[in-house]
Amino acid sequence: MSTAHSHREARRAEALESFRVRGMPHRRFEHWRYSDLRAVLDAGQVAQAGTAHWSIPALPEGVEQFDLAAPNAPAWVLKAYGTIGNRPTMEEASLAFSDGGVALRVPAGTTIAEPIRLEIAGGGNLRWLVVVEEGASATIFEPHGSDVGLLRNVGVDVALSEGAALTHIRFAPFTPKSFVVEHIAVAVSARAQYRAHFANFGARLSRTELHITLGGEGAEAHLSGVTVLGHDGHADVTSHIEHAAGKTLSTQLFKHVAGGKSRAVYQGKITVREGANGSDSRQTARALLMSERAEADLKPELIIFADDVKCAHGATAGDLDPESLFYLRSRGIPEKEARRILINAFLQEAVETILDEDLRAAVWHEVEAALPRAMESAK
Amino acid sequence: MSADTDTKDQVAALGEKYKYGFVTDIEMDKAPKGLNADIVRFISAKKDEPEWMLEWRLAAFRRWGEMTEPNWARLRYNKIDYQDAYYYAAPKSTEKYKDLDEVDPKLLETYKKLGIPLSEQKMLAGVAVDAVFDSVSVATTFKGKLNEAGVIFCPMSEAIRDYSDLVRKYLGTVVPVTDNFFATLNSAVFSDGTFVYVPKGVRCPMELSTYFRINASQTGQFERTLIVADEGSYVSYLEGCTAPMRDENQLHAAVVELVALEGAEIKYSTVQNWYPGDENGKGGIYNFVTKRGDCRGARSKISWTQVETGSAITWKYPSCILRGDDSVGEFYSIAITNNYQQADTGTKMIHLGKNTRSRIISKGISAGKAQNTYRGLVSVHAKAANARNYTQCDSLLIGSQCGAHTVPYIESRNPTARLEHEATTSKIAEDQLFYCLQRGLTAEEAVALIVNGFCKEVLQQLPMEFAVEAQKLVGISLEGSVG
Amino acid sequence: MLEIKNLHANVGDKEILKGLTLTIETGKVHAIMGPNGSGKSTLSYVLAGREGYTVTAGSITYNGEDLLALKTEERAAKRIFLAMQYPVEIPGVTTMNFLKTALNAQRRARGESEYDAISILKLVRAKARVLQVNEEMLKRALNVGFSGGEKKRLEILQMSLFEPKLAVLDETDSGLDIDALKLVAEGVNALRSPERSMLVITHYQRLLDYIVPDRIHVLANGRMVAEGGKELAHELEATGYGDLGKVPA
Repeated sequence: MSTAHSHREARRAEALESFRVRGMPHRRFEHWRYSDLRAVLDAGQVAQAGTAHWSIPALPEGVEQFDLAAPNAPAWVLKAYGTIGNRPTMEEASLAFSDGGVALRVPAGTTIAEPIRLEIAGGGNLRWLVVVEEGASATIFEPHGSDVGLLRNVGVDVALSEGAALTHIRFAPFTPKSFVVEHIAVAVSARAQYRAHFANFGARLSRTELHITLGGEGAEAHLSGVTVLGHDGHADVTSHIEHAAGKTLSTQLFKHVAGGKSRAVYQGKITVREGANGSDSRQTARALLMSERAEADLKPELIIFADDVKCAHGATAGDLDPESLFYLRSRGIPEKEARRILINAFLQEAVETILDEDLRAAVWHEVEAALPRAMESAK
Repeated sequence: MSADTDTKDQVAALGEKYKYGFVTDIEMDKAPKGLNADIVRFISAKKDEPEWMLEWRLAAFRRWGEMTEPNWARLRYNKIDYQDAYYYAAPKSTEKYKDLDEVDPKLLETYKKLGIPLSEQKMLAGVAVDAVFDSVSVATTFKGKLNEAGVIFCPMSEAIRDYSDLVRKYLGTVVPVTDNFFATLNSAVFSDGTFVYVPKGVRCPMELSTYFRINASQTGQFERTLIVADEGSYVSYLEGCTAPMRDENQLHAAVVELVALEGAEIKYSTVQNWYPGDENGKGGIYNFVTKRGDCRGARSKISWTQVETGSAITWKYPSCILRGDDSVGEFYSIAITNNYQQADTGTKMIHLGKNTRSRIISKGISAGKAQNTYRGLVSVHAKAANARNYTQCDSLLIGSQCGAHTVPYIESRNPTARLEHEATTSKIAEDQLFYCLQRGLTAEEAVALIVNGFCKEVLQQLPMEFAVEAQKLVGISLEGSVG
Repeated sequence: MLEIKNLHANVGDKEILKGLTLTIETGKVHAIMGPNGSGKSTLSYVLAGREGYTVTAGSITYNGEDLLALKTEERAAKRIFLAMQYPVEIPGVTTMNFLKTALNAQRRARGESEYDAISILKLVRAKARVLQVNEEMLKRALNVGFSGGEKKRLEILQMSLFEPKLAVLDETDSGLDIDALKLVAEGVNALRSPERSMLVITHYQRLLDYIVPDRIHVLANGRMVAEGGKELAHELEATGYGDLGKVPA
């Protein structure tokens, strides 16, 4: 068993070296141009941040759990641990500096109806991973606590075997003094599906980065998210979906509302690899600016190396549609209420992609709580 | 003639490979190979330039020495040896032409072969041409008629001598000397180019056109174009470019600056057909160009239209700085890459003034083993209230070994601004191809037809005289892409 | 009940209304006819208080009150209703929810008690049946994917629900076939009452065959150029707007 242990240690040592060499990401990194982390945080602070906390109040029956702080990790953990995705520097940091985390396994053929509630709390680095085996399906609900302190840096591995399905709903509250970085690496096998929703309410700097590989025929990824920002909030959602096999499908729908002096960032890169014929990829990102001092930056990117593809993206930034606003007001609805109705409708389109009613309601509750902040300095 | 036969005739004319690949055998006057301050002085002396111009060049050269060549994300090419090239090459006999009769008949023959007759009687109606052969301008037509209107249209070298104050007032104010590696190099060694000044309230009576030709081997071409449209004026300008087939890579690093003052409008069209290299990717022009327009005055407008079919590598982003309130910027682009060609092109629309509007229509076509990237920035600054942008980027892939990429940057800092971006990527539709084949078109004719349809929105922006030429070019560029 | 005096209004920098004067009496149906570009739609937007439509001179008095001092939603609460030529589509807002929100907002502004969801549902259903607006439409997002006829029927349903004192119908006939037109006209006629004035704006006489007005006014080049009884519509149909459109400013 010591080989297993040393296997993990070896991966961590490699991660440490990789982070040491590359250092903190900054705006000269093409994919960090709107979120200059190095300007506000140094590598030493990341190294000394310690380990954040996780808890699963009620593990549904049929799901296997392994505490990453424990020795002797089983093979299914080792196979996924820090092995998925493109290993960006902050993800390597979360491997190198976290002394714990959790691994979950949904065995082949199992359907877990009840959402697995995975709570993340406290400051520091953290790792978690989930392995959904052949034909199995599950939902993970991941609420983040607001007790971040200086930094929370979470690295996640998601491995979906053939025909597996995972729904991943995560929300992060407004933490105005903190830095929050997450990197989620997802490997999707043939006919497997990853559905995720990210509700972001901003931090001093918040970065949610996804790297998804659709590695087998018929693999699908469906991402949606809402970002509701006010005050000095910042939230950066950066996704990279790689269509590495044919007949793969991805959709993305991200909505941002930025008020106050906030900054909403969305970068979405879609790569279709050579030979990934029959791939279909759609991406929509829309931002509403609610104040004179808010900023929205959108960068939807298509990198296509196969010819038999259908790829489209759309991005808009602006204010509410004046026609709609006039229509509502002409029917007697006061301006403030009319604006609120239109903003709700704008955000709801993304939240409605959450199929589970309770989770949808939970996320919407957070959205409603955050909206007054975003609308504070609205006209 | 019905539209159908018309189209068929056009595509029938496509059975020609790169037809501008010939070399004109003419005695050349060259600067020694390599690049140093003396070469810069040599060029300046050859042009009989005033002292300020030489100083300007030398400052640029010093700055260039401190810069490093950019390392671009999506372009691959062999390192350029800047010492192994000629920076000045001119046909020996060109020195002082009074009129076209004095021009070397070989040169006139060259332009005739290129389809650019320089004798004014034979000119396309209403188009004035400035022809630049390697480093110098060899002929400018219709000078008299333009003079009557007060329009200055002449080689840059002449403008520096004759309109020194005007040139000095505007040169380098849109693209600063230190802008980027290639623009700085150009500032040091530019040899010729075109200068246009349209006075207040004048609508330029004809299309202006410059025709660029690289002929000499191992020679870089560094032309510099400056167009100033004074208040309330209008000018439409077109440039065309070709080069002989050579298996070496030649550098073309031009700088184009446009200044539109209050209420002025500049329409700038490019049909770029530099030698693209052979089907194995050998040879071809490195087209590293900096083009930028400054809508300096209120209600001014700058419109870029480009048809980019040539060059081994194209790197250019014709941009608009929308400084004046209510100013308008437009970018219409067709970029076609085949074989091993690489194109990384797009635009920047910088909204600074109120009520500024911009529109971007980009059509990228990639075939063979080519890589075609649209890269564009739309930036709305905090004071640009009510700014509007609409962007549409469509990519078409022909064959399974090419790449088509779209990299837009959308940055807004004003809540009253509205930016809209749409992009699609798809392959050439098989049902359309089949339909055309079934009706008797060859595969290549069918592709030319379909691609022309795909590009229509942009082709429509070209001055009519050149739209037909451009349509043919679209077809020729894609030869061998289906089989 | 409505008095427009010497109204001048701009859209952007352009003057569209150039001294328009019009009086509308309680309980009467007035029609405004005029060629394209005469300012008909501008007048309707000025009455509803749309941003971007600037009144530069003149006055509008509504039941003794300065209408121009009121915001768009305040005018709605005071029972001015504009049935629009192109009702806007609002994705994500269900029709039923919109009707409830709007009705209660108006009632709140008038100091009346708000309706609960069930009473509104009953009320809307009753009115929907008359206008052949089916339940399915009420569940869909506002106007999204509705046909031209469906959109116009929903406008009339709102008119019936909000019980306006002044209803302005802007080109209500546009985009409707004859059956849809009849249905909409019946809906409107059913709402005619001695307490309700209507202003029917149209380019064609066709609509006025079904909604017969008490007075017809002809608008050209930003001001009223002719006025008459219902027979004027047919005269105009025969002679066309002709020279009326070319009245010098």
